[in-house]
Amino acid sequence: MVDDMALAPADAPVQADAPPTRGLVAQAIRDTLSGAGAKAGLVWICVVGFCAVFAPFLANSYPLAVKIGGHWSSPLLRHLTPVDVILLVMFFACVILALIRRLTFARKLAIGGIVLVVITPLAYLFVRPPSLDVFEEYRDLAKQGKIEAAIYAPIPYSANDRMRDQPEDRLSPPNRRHLLGTEDTGGDLLSRMIHACRIAMSIGFISTGIAVVIGIVVGGVMGYFVGAIDLFGMRLIEIFEAIPTLFLLIAIVAFFGRNLYIMMAIIGLTTWTGDARFIRGEFLRLRNQDFVHAAVAAGLPVRSVLFRHILPNGISPLIVSASFGIASAILYESTLSFLGLGLVDEPSWGQMLEQSLGVGGTFIWWIAFFPGLAIFLTVFAYNLIGESLRDALDPRLHGIE
Amino acid sequence: MGNRFGVKDFLLLALLVVLIVSVWLSMAQRDREWKVLESIRDQGDSQSHDLAAIRRALAGGIRLSNAGGSATSGSAEGKEDPFKYVKEAEAQPDYASGDWFIDNLHTKVGDLTPLLASNDLYSQIIQGRVLESLVYQDPNTLEYVPLLARSLPQISRDGLTFTFQLRQGITFSDGVPFTADDVVFTFNWIMNPAVEAPRDRAYFQKIASVTKNGDDEVVFKFKEPYFLSMDLAGGMQILPKHFYEKYTPQQFNTNPGLLMGTGPYMLRDPASWRPGDRVELVRNDRYWGETPPFSRIVYEQVEQDAAALTMFKNGDVDTFIAQPEQYELLLKDAQLVKRTQHFALDTPLSGYSFIGWNEKRNGKPTLFADKRARLAMTLLTDRERICKEVLLGYATVANGPFSPLGKPQTAPDLKPYAYDPARAKQLLKELGYQDRNGSGVVQGPDGRPFEFTFTYPAKDETLQRIVLFLRDSYAAAGIKMNLDPVDFPILIQRLNNRDFDATTLAWSGEVEDDLYQIFHSSQIGDQGDDFVSYANPELDKLIEEARRTVDEPKRMKMWQRCSEILHEDQPYTFLTRRKSLSFMAGRIKNVHPSKVGLNFVGRWNMPCPWYVPKELQKWGK
Amino acid sequence: MTTYIIRRLLLFFPTLLGITIVVFAVMALSPGGVGASLLTREGGMDPRVRKEVEAYYNKRYGLDKPLPVQYLRWLNEVSPVGTKEAGTGFPQAWGFGFKMPDLGESLVRHRPVIDLMKESLPITLLLNFISIPLVYLIAIVTGITAAKHRGKIADVGLGSVLLAMWSVPQIWAGVLLIGFLGSNQYLKIFPVNGLHDVQSDGMTFLPHIIHGAFERGWLLDSLWHLVLPVFCLSYVSFAFLSKLQRSSMLENIGLDYVRTARSKGLGEKTVLYQHVFRNSLIPLITISASILPSLLSGAVIVESIFGINGMGKLIVDGALAHDRELVLSDALVIGGLGLISYLLADICYVIADPRVSYD
Repeated sequence: MVDDMALAPADAPVQADAPPTRGLVAQAIRDTLSGAGAKAGLVWICVVGFCAVFAPFLANSYPLAVKIGGHWSSPLLRHLTPVDVILLVMFFACVILALIRRLTFARKLAIGGIVLVVITPLAYLFVRPPSLDVFEEYRDLAKQGKIEAAIYAPIPYSANDRMRDQPEDRLSPPNRRHLLGTEDTGGDLLSRMIHACRIAMSIGFISTGIAVVIGIVVGGVMGYFVGAIDLFGMRLIEIFEAIPTLFLLIAIVAFFGRNLYIMMAIIGLTTWTGDARFIRGEFLRLRNQDFVHAAVAAGLPVRSVLFRHILPNGISPLIVSASFGIASAILYESTLSFLGLGLVDEPSWGQMLEQSLGVGGTFIWWIAFFPGLAIFLTVFAYNLIGESLRDALDPRLHGIE
Repeated sequence: MGNRFGVKDFLLLALLVVLIVSVWLSMAQRDREWKVLESIRDQGDSQSHDLAAIRRALAGGIRLSNAGGSATSGSAEGKEDPFKYVKEAEAQPDYASGDWFIDNLHTKVGDLTPLLASNDLYSQIIQGRVLESLVYQDPNTLEYVPLLARSLPQISRDGLTFTFQLRQGITFSDGVPFTADDVVFTFNWIMNPAVEAPRDRAYFQKIASVTKNGDDEVVFKFKEPYFLSMDLAGGMQILPKHFYEKYTPQQFNTNPGLLMGTGPYMLRDPASWRPGDRVELVRNDRYWGETPPFSRIVYEQVEQDAAALTMFKNGDVDTFIAQPEQYELLLKDAQLVKRTQHFALDTPLSGYSFIGWNEKRNGKPTLFADKRARLAMTLLTDRERICKEVLLGYATVANGPFSPLGKPQTAPDLKPYAYDPARAKQLLKELGYQDRNGSGVVQGPDGRPFEFTFTYPAKDETLQRIVLFLRDSYAAAGIKMNLDPVDFPILIQRLNNRDFDATTLAWSGEVEDDLYQIFHSSQIGDQGDDFVSYANPELDKLIEEARRTVDEPKRMKMWQRCSEILHEDQPYTFLTRRKSLSFMAGRIKNVHPSKVGLNFVGRWNMPCPWYVPKELQKWGK
Repeated sequence: MTTYIIRRLLLFFPTLLGITIVVFAVMALSPGGVGASLLTREGGMDPRVRKEVEAYYNKRYGLDKPLPVQYLRWLNEVSPVGTKEAGTGFPQAWGFGFKMPDLGESLVRHRPVIDLMKESLPITLLLNFISIPLVYLIAIVTGITAAKHRGKIADVGLGSVLLAMWSVPQIWAGVLLIGFLGSNQYLKIFPVNGLHDVQSDGMTFLPHIIHGAFERGWLLDSLWHLVLPVFCLSYVSFAFLSKLQRSSMLENIGLDYVRTARSKGLGEKTVLYQHVFRNSLIPLITISASILPSLLSGAVIVESIFGINGMGKLIVDGALAHDRELVLSDALVIGGLGLISYLLADICYVIADPRVSYD
């Protein structure tokens, strides 16, 4: 979140009429983070993010290290997928970049981007996990006494491990072996919840990213061209605003089938209108300000003024809406999953919640409570951050309080 | 609106709103009362109408035929008595008439009008209480018993002409007599292309004509001999001509609540039911047969399992169809078990589930084109464990397409393949499958990995568990199965286009199953139901022959040979036959299993033998 | 103002056209499409039967025509002006003119869509009309409390509690309420399915004591069924409106007229409730129209959880069944309602605040 803030570039011109952006945003961030609520929110999101990155190390049926016949090997590492590897590399790259103080933020961003571009094809080329998972493999070996020594992940069950060798554990309430109990299909709830952090994180960021980009482009184009294009754009916005997002989402997912990427794209494609309205408004407002007139009189083309100078200033409030957007994207995903339109095998909090009712018509409290709590805490965290950001950015409130 | 709006105004406004709401509510209440009054008046009308008829009849010196019911039907010839079981019930010491039976359909009913919802099992259940056919099948002996017909039909030597004598003195629930005209009308109505009954129309196409021969004789002429002709002709539910004639096909198609017949129950108003309304059938006081015990049958339409269960526990409904898990759970509730009855029944009607292995996709043979590969998949599927763990023992391993409870269509010495991964791996090896690159997935001789996509209907939790189990089982043998849950309409479309690798579905069963639709090679093209593209010329010939054979023992021999061929070829991995699990309120007596499930509910149409003893009666007092 | 409204009304048409085109395109371009083969859903049919059924539906709904033709055909049916059979509508003699708009017939339920809507829309509206005043009442009270104690514990506490409530997913709240308050495993206090008891038809209207036993009556029974759904529908909106009320109060307190009132010597209570409170209601009133669409989405979730057959459930069922006519009509009706409520919100705004002008 904090990194996103700095989207307002350092070299934004500080004009007499223009609001002192840098100072305001920095102040806003400081205000936000000083609030206890926002801090707690941030901590929770960090926990979720950590779980998302390190999910395979936190919960995995394959031992981290195992000694069979005198040889040590690491089935866990062998079963890492390219996505796992990319996430890990990117995580450590970000940590290292954050620790280096000398680089400007833009440079850090560039380096991060380069690492991502390099690591993705490499991971897909060289990381070749076995394409089949037989989760009980090592439990069977252990039972046969073939394993001499082994180190397991803290939760020794993968998300998709349905424990075929322990059918009696199915649907058991929280206990010592399964801290949060097990699911109807036999999966360990805690393990699935940890792996579900990935979907929660990615759906929020990616769909909101899509929405913000579309919002900026459409809003910018409308604010720049005005006239007929503006009129047309407003109709487009109205079209998307008049259909409740959930209705459109349900219709599209019902017709296009269950797919995480489609879902992300659709959430993005249906929630950009607020951002577009805002950017358009900013453009229209700032267009007529003296400093823009001055810049134009000084020979700068209008396009350059609008996109190089006004846009960066206008973007910072979008962070607030992005923060709320992430929260609502997570809600949309879980609602769709709950309505039975979500993913089947990939763990997701909403999909788990769905199973809490209707398994034989009974209510299973641990499946209802824990995933729901996770959704709630995450949404609450984003809302807290968004709320404090908004308060911090709202100059009127500053004047009063 | 702005500044002058004070607290007083607000109070005034609130008062006004309260006033309007209470006026509206009292109007709503008035409406409710009016509806009840209306229905009472209707009843009164129809009773006085009847009285008038009786007076007229008495004056004319004619004996009224529907008063005593069965006595006049004149066919107390033992075996052929359609009300045998009802009479047995009436002979019980605690038999009493009265009380309501409240069933739950677990779904919303869209259409009560016959023919329109020909694919909707639940409307058929309701229609079965209101409409009657010429004959019905005894649920215990599976013999045909005449109902609206006076006796079983005379069948011509070539099996093409069926002549039914109709009972006399039967009237529809509005008092109009039932005649041969109604039978002829029903057939013609179905065959009228403007009526939205394409499905029934296609089934009845085997009948060339239905003609009347006087008021009490009808003749069905078939185009070709068919082993189920009796079902077609005798099972056609008769619609009253005078009632449906009033509507144009267009009106008929768009009217969801047109339902009237000769049956023991009727809609109070045969034309006004709307979807969303409760379905309440009241006793038809003009019924020609034995007076049915319940004075009313109510169909609740509660979809959610949890709610349906709660209602059953509270006694708001009398039945509950359980999933295996619910059944287990409810059995643990000692109190509930004590005051209710429960049944876990095998019936041929519930059919079997299977995995279909597509043999041809995009015109090219698939992994499953070789029958050894299919056999290997069957051997890898631990069906016993599915029955035991997922279905909690309330299912048996399906041994081919025929039910062991129906007619003896399965060869007697045929046993389902047992779970045998070792033999399966051996078979796969024979086919050249082994893991050559350490990826964990076995590859064929051409290097193609044994990987396929499993397409199955989404949103069914039990099925979901079975599918996940299958995936893990196949993974253990180095076979990769990708999951592709799709909504049902899409699944059907994919099947029609043969655009899938493997799928799982269930076919419902009959007492005697016909293989033609599913396994005959003619059904491969043209989007038929042989969607796995299975073809075996020997089987084709046998099926055709069996369908033409009217002699039952001979036909059974042919079916048995078919079952052997299917066992050998494994076009499907036949999975399970599930028991139908149900709970029934304890006050209802004489509930017994029959060959087709319980002896009353369900899609089997038969007179109701259940009753509630006087002291246990609950509703409608 | 009038010209503005007329202009906005005229702009409805392209927007509604756009909405339905978007929805139609989604359905038409999806892998399953909207073909007749979707209608022969249960399989298990003789191919000849299937052919016949398909041909029948193709003819009836024009499902085999090219997509634009299908859309235009639908558009013609729902529009009040268009081609029609001579002898109906106005002018009677022509094949073109005014006619009754026809929303078509649900492909899956075989019933006119308008009938389905007539059944389900009132239920959703009932839910909303109960929950909106409730939401407003609570939001206003909490908003004023927060504003009065701004910056103190009460303000911060209320703010965070409401924000937390806003973040509780409706699906979670619904599941927990059903599980703990509605299921017989725990407390069995509230009914969880539908809006009426099975026996409600036979109940008296008002509560009665019959033969010494209390009978709750139809009215009380309905209210009883409404408790959980209405709660689920309304709790999410508290935070937003309460916050609005709070900031609007604060804004007004800072304005000149308040200072004037105070300097006139009016008591703090009079200032707060007579002046500030009334003026601070304006934004809440103006926004009331525009929360309708969001409540409709809430209804989708609540109705699915509680098994209520309102608009929301109609939408979900229609989409899941790939019912083209139903989904299109849903889009049209919901889109229309949304547009109207936005327009109402704008008009309210002008009425409430004379400084705003759209001309």
